[in-house]
Amino acid sequence: MSTRAPLTRFRGVLLGALVFVAALAIWEAWARSAESFYFPPVSEIGREALDVWPSADFLTAVGASVKRLAAGYAIGATAGVSIGLAMGSSRRVRSTLGPTTEFLRALPVIAVVPIAISLLDDGDTMRIAVIAFGVFFPVLVATVAGVCGVPPEIRDTAALFHLGKVERTIRVYLPAALPTIFAGLRTALSIGLVLVVIAEFTGTGDGLGVYIWTQRFLFDVQAMYAGILFLGLLGYVLNGLLLVLERRVLAWHYGAIGEPVH
Amino acid sequence: MAERVGRDSQARVLREHGLLRRANIAGVLFALAFLLVAEACVRLFDLSDSVAAPADTAGALFEGISDGSLAGEVETTLVTYVQGLALAAVIGVLLGIAIGSSRTVESASSVVIEFLRPIPAVALIPLAIFWFGLGTPMLRFLVAYAAVWPILVHTVYGVRGVDRVLHDVAATSGVTGAARITRVSVPAALPSIATGIRISAALALAVCVTGEYFVGTEGIGHYMQDHAAAYRLPELYAAAALTGLLGLAIDVALRSAERRVLFWAGEERVRPR
Repeated sequence: MSTRAPLTRFRGVLLGALVFVAALAIWEAWARSAESFYFPPVSEIGREALDVWPSADFLTAVGASVKRLAAGYAIGATAGVSIGLAMGSSRRVRSTLGPTTEFLRALPVIAVVPIAISLLDDGDTMRIAVIAFGVFFPVLVATVAGVCGVPPEIRDTAALFHLGKVERTIRVYLPAALPTIFAGLRTALSIGLVLVVIAEFTGTGDGLGVYIWTQRFLFDVQAMYAGILFLGLLGYVLNGLLLVLERRVLAWHYGAIGEPVH
Repeated sequence: MAERVGRDSQARVLREHGLLRRANIAGVLFALAFLLVAEACVRLFDLSDSVAAPADTAGALFEGISDGSLAGEVETTLVTYVQGLALAAVIGVLLGIAIGSSRTVESASSVVIEFLRPIPAVALIPLAIFWFGLGTPMLRFLVAYAAVWPILVHTVYGVRGVDRVLHDVAATSGVTGAARITRVSVPAALPSIATGIRISAALALAVCVTGEYFVGTEGIGHYMQDHAAAYRLPELYAAAALTGLLGLAIDVALRSAERRVLFWAGEERVRPR
């Protein structure tokens, strides 16, 4: 990718944008002639989006969702990294917890939602718990893989310096596993966003998921499109932010291997 | 001999998967202890209003399977799931080959794909209801939409990552044009495509059950929703556990199929331990 000349790359982006615009134009023309209630013209969706997005109701809903996501993500990721470090650095812990985590990981989160509702009632606690549950596993798996993948030279060096178990884990294994952990964190972020929506589709309250779900009963198709578009945009922006953080935190790593590996 | 090799590789699959890691006694004991503690807590503190005891869950699971109520739902779910996944595989692989082997197609499709990909399938449920109604076609669409992305991305990487030498060898052997794609790119990309399908298979099951939960009239997801609404917790837990087991079984099956079909790719793909 990076070996391509800037001009051809620019042309590539231009071509991509042109195809995108053409697709929108075809949609627009088709929607205008077909006048389907469920496929409104792009221009109307755009107008609705610009109308809805800055409104106070919508922003409050987004704020509530983002807050839940942040809380659930923080809890799930912290737990995932901590338990992952323990499982990664000790074979005994790994084999003891292995089967149980393997089974829990296979549960689809939608199965966890009604269970969480019966445990924690329908509220913020339930939603945050569901998000944390879903975020936990990708982070856990990535952390275990990262720690298990630490090269033997590094392990031996740490042993040579007589580092204690805890110190070795935190000062050697954790940094060495960070690139892998970040990959897990990014997977977890997109999963977290999906879970916000799932947890908000069920039950009442505020949030982006509730907003989208409500439009269904109001038959406000444009607003539904606007809500879903915003969700996609939110995912895109959050992922971008995480990438920026990753480049910062892992600057040493990329310095060592040459360039970012995506 | 061949049978023994097959059994060995099966054992390796299970072991790598973490279920039978060399007769993992500690792991099994921990899981049992976990269940026992849960059972004891539910009985001692009378929590059966908010948690289903493991014994009751096992009973509900056994009953649901033996009287066919749960087994029937599983069948419905699996049919929808396989259809959606197959659709995604066909679209994802074809599109992935086109994108992976042509820079022009890659550039042309890039913005549209980057626009669609971040939209979570589950968020499309309310729209998909409008588009397809409340039946199976809508679930099929959801499953296919969710599953197509990992397959597409892995196919693109696989096709693009083909060793140049392979193409050169093919060219000197007179393999050019379309044959270059079918006889060099696709076989070389198969391991990557298989990984994509495996990732999608897990994702698609979750999306299928989620779709059924919100809008379905049948399937495991609907079964869960039904019992959750009626507050019959053992049945709910049983369905959840069964879905988890189903996901594990599908993953193990795909892994072992992958090893059997793509045995030649084994060397490069030995995972670090």
